[in-house]
Amino acid sequence: MADVVAGVRTNTSCDVLVVDDASNDATTAAAEAAGARVLCLPNQLGAWGATQAGIRFAQRRGYRTVVTLDADGQHDPLELPALLAAHRESGANVVIGTCSERLSDAKRLAAGYFRFITGIAVQDFTSGLRVYDRRAIRTLASREASLLDYQDLGVLMLLRKKGLTLMEAPTRMSPRRSGGSRVFSSWRMVARYMMHTTVLCFAQISARGRIGRRRAAKASA
Amino acid sequence: MTAAITAGIIGVLLAGTILFLVRRDHLHGSFALWWFAIAAAILILGLFPPVIDWLGTVTGIYYPPILPIVIGIGMILLRLLKMDVDRSRYERQMRRLTQKLAIVEQELRETRDELAKKRPAEISETPVAAQRVVGGR
Repeated sequence: MADVVAGVRTNTSCDVLVVDDASNDATTAAAEAAGARVLCLPNQLGAWGATQAGIRFAQRRGYRTVVTLDADGQHDPLELPALLAAHRESGANVVIGTCSERLSDAKRLAAGYFRFITGIAVQDFTSGLRVYDRRAIRTLASREASLLDYQDLGVLMLLRKKGLTLMEAPTRMSPRRSGGSRVFSSWRMVARYMMHTTVLCFAQISARGRIGRRRAAKASA
Repeated sequence: MTAAITAGIIGVLLAGTILFLVRRDHLHGSFALWWFAIAAAILILGLFPPVIDWLGTVTGIYYPPILPIVIGIGMILLRLLKMDVDRSRYERQMRRLTQKLAIVEQELRETRDELAKKRPAEISETPVAAQRVVGGR
């Protein structure tokens, strides 16, 4: 993880923040030694709760852009300059780093299913490699985003509900160095996750028409 | 012993327990109100069984004895739903508090470090406070 921090520091001009989700290993010291600031959560909040802690930190300090990446080494800091450039040039509120080679068939199927029920055309909706702009930061730091459990569709639906634009940028990703996918680890977890997210989708469906129209207006302009 | 007396005993016992719990500060006021209503309902239905028959004809349930059970289960479901709504609210508050605590703690550490850089002499004069911080983490 110290490599990730060092990589981000050498490849971008970003300040680095590491969120320690109540782990008791030596990550905090290692991250601080590598030149990152560290948030230590006293209770375990999960991937999204930890990410939101970082986003709230950024909002409090007045940062304009937040880049999130996993500390397990699957997101190569070398890809960040291209991703940030894509964010600058496209003008989208959120840019998602997508690695299409890394997507398994199960994930593609899930993406197709969710595209069908939500209309969000994102290939790699679980990707943790994202760039958020100021409006996205404000939206995601809100109370409304606090009860989400995963950083994927719930987050994307909330962003879309607020009229923010999403964009995907192709990225190279390396296999995780430590630990497997939290969601796509066992069939029981997948089933649970799919049902959980489907309920969330149907609960949000009223927001669909409005955004669809807005997006159409933007496309024609 | 008749059913009326049994129901009366249950109702009075429940009401008494609630009063006791409120008195001992174990039960929050708004919950106490709900439980008092339940105790009152048990008392009324138990002491005046014809009320059940009347309610049965009003609601169209032709086997009135099942009515108290249906109402009871309905109340329990409502109560459970309310509890989950409350739990979601607490979960949200707890998550945000946890995040805020981590952010404030980080700021405190940073401020302390800056202060230590500026005035190393003064900080080192208060070793007790510094030690307490290290021990508390």
